Amino acid sequence: MNFAQATAAPTSSSVISSNREDTVQLNNVRKCYDEFVAVADLNLSIKAGGIYGLLGPNGAGKTSTIRMIMGIIVPDAGQITVFGEPLIRAHMDRFGYLPEERGLYRKMKVLEHLVFLGQLKGLSGAEATKRAKSWCDRFDLTAWTDKKVGELSKGMQQKVQFIGAILHDPRLIIMDEPFTGLDPANAVVLKDVLLEMAKSGKTILLSTHRMDQVERLCQSICLINHGRAVLEGDLNQIKARYGRQNVQIKYDGDAGFLQETRLVQSFNDYGNYVEVQLAPGADSQELLRLASAKARLDKFELMEPSLEEIFIAVVGKTNA
Amino acid sequence: MRNTWLILKREYLQRVRTRSFLVLTLLLPGIMTALMVLPAKMATMGQKAQHIVLVTSNPQFGEKVRQQLLAAPVAEEEDEGSDRAGKRKPEDQDIIDVDANPTDSERAALRDKVSTRQIDAFLWLTDDAIAARDVTWNGRETADFRERSWLSESVGHIIQQRELSTKGLTDAQADELLKPVKVETVRIEGGRETKGSGTGRLLEIVVMVMLLYMAVLFYGISVMRSVLEEKTSRIIEVLLSSASSTELMAGKLLGVGAVGLTQILVWAIMAGVIAFPSLALQPDLGELQISPGVMAAFGLFFLLGYLLYSTMYATIGAITTTEQEGQQLQFLIIIPLVLSVFMLMPVIRTPDSAAVVWLSMVPFFAPILMYARIVVETPPLWQIALSLLLMIATVSGLVVLCARIYRIGVLIYGKRATLPEILKWLKYAKA
Repeated sequence: MNFAQATAAPTSSSVISSNREDTVQLNNVRKCYDEFVAVADLNLSIKAGGIYGLLGPNGAGKTSTIRMIMGIIVPDAGQITVFGEPLIRAHMDRFGYLPEERGLYRKMKVLEHLVFLGQLKGLSGAEATKRAKSWCDRFDLTAWTDKKVGELSKGMQQKVQFIGAILHDPRLIIMDEPFTGLDPANAVVLKDVLLEMAKSGKTILLSTHRMDQVERLCQSICLINHGRAVLEGDLNQIKARYGRQNVQIKYDGDAGFLQETRLVQSFNDYGNYVEVQLAPGADSQELLRLASAKARLDKFELMEPSLEEIFIAVVGKTNA
Repeated sequence: MRNTWLILKREYLQRVRTRSFLVLTLLLPGIMTALMVLPAKMATMGQKAQHIVLVTSNPQFGEKVRQQLLAAPVAEEEDEGSDRAGKRKPEDQDIIDVDANPTDSERAALRDKVSTRQIDAFLWLTDDAIAARDVTWNGRETADFRERSWLSESVGHIIQQRELSTKGLTDAQADELLKPVKVETVRIEGGRETKGSGTGRLLEIVVMVMLLYMAVLFYGISVMRSVLEEKTSRIIEVLLSSASSTELMAGKLLGVGAVGLTQILVWAIMAGVIAFPSLALQPDLGELQISPGVMAAFGLFFLLGYLLYSTMYATIGAITTTEQEGQQLQFLIIIPLVLSVFMLMPVIRTPDSAAVVWLSMVPFFAPILMYARIVVETPPLWQIALSLLLMIATVSGLVVLCARIYRIGVLIYGKRATLPEILKWLKYAKA
């Protein structure tokens, strides 16, 4: 639990005091299904504005957590606070939700469907139509607005569902794995939209197990495992605490330096380069001298730990 | 409220705009009409003019029978369903000959004529046969029951007339004596008299049963399918993030319900337009005067019954994961419907016995049984009110229950829930 203790943010065992700045706060939230504890005394606070990453391995309790925030399931214990008030149904109209399990009415026409979703969130028919058309334009769906949803490709359906989730200009946007199924071009459009919204003061909760996305997009994260927050807080701070312990080396020749256990705790060979995790207290300069003595070096770079490593390290530790 | 309306509107428009709705709405009345008209048509087609020979020992008697048979072609029952007789055109008139030669050789000759289609049949009506009250019809086709009763009544009438004339009565006096008695029923309801036969009452009940059955089977399944679709397509999660599960259920039930009502309304209008001219010409149906009270009861009990059974379908949709599973559970809905029909006869016979009173209060039976009681003999108002209240309570209870199960349906995939599981889900879904 080194990382959790090292972060500035409160750990899972402490109680978070109510904070006006927070869009969403979970206090000791618990959800069990029979014997199985899906979420155990989870605490997290999502600050207003920006993108917050909810990370965790499969079955960690991400979806259960999101469903409780969305009011679809009710926690067994604990409080959920949104916009500084206890969660009630009326808040839902200011939430936008893209569930992991995508679903649309296949027989409805795209525009009709979007207007229906917008109206359910309180928009007038005319306003919903106007907004739906402009979003479809942005996502290259204009030619498809009169087609039935079922005739669209999966990626297109996903774009439709995304538009449906943000049509009513929600303050809090919850996205469960929003990038899966999108081609790179569309993923870029989606990413741009998300960043734009974050900049304009919206709060985005991004649930994923794709570390690279979180690393690029999120300002804060919460890593959950077995229903508990094992790491929560500002991403930069978390990385800083973790320290510059990694070196990326591209070399040609003798790889014997990798076996120097005094300096190298572990390494990961990616083919084109190796990523080395230095042993505690080891000096990276010593490794450089050692390596350059035996092999030709194309690259020797001190690295921030990737979130993936933190993830594996933390999850590995808590599992052990 | 707004959400319920939006969901209702979506369900309604999505269904009404489909091609299958249009086809079903327009085609079904055609198929129904064909099904009702064709057998009748086929029956009258078989009933073309016949050439019959009456073989008798007494030509005078034979002539009288001939007259009688021609005067009343194929027996008419006094009540409904006999619109075929009397409508025959003159060229369809039967040809009846009298043959006063009751010998064996003549019999053989007539047989040949029947086989060679010169005549259709002959009736062996000798004095011996009459004395034995046993006459024989010899035809290519055996006489159906209508023809048999036509013959037996006509011949019987003439025999009775002859017997009476030997006792000194004139034919006119004999006819007067032999006139059949017609029984007419008048129902006194709240001080007003309504003319109506038992068959008319029964028809009012049968129409209710048929409509309820059809509506429940067509649209109940539709509700179930729609609940299942939302679960399998996983749109349920998006919907639940926008509306409460009770709003969703209520909107769905009312929306699909409205589709069924639209269809029935279209059919009723079509039936009215098509049937009005013939109804006006049909004095029998004058007996079908339906009192405003019964009409109101019909509307109320039909709507509530339809809603109740659709809600049961929705609940089945909520606890199952595929349509096949849902159809396996359909018996839960069909059984109360069928039971109500089974109990219909005792209810009509003794509409105010204690057992009937309480059975007709059971919400699942009330749409048919309480309505039947109202048609037969208006029960005390409190009983009607109580049964309506019980139905409304059951529908509301089921909607809430179903909405909860539906919400928990988010969590399950793949297999039908067992009863203990459902109870557990209800616990998760609290609040």
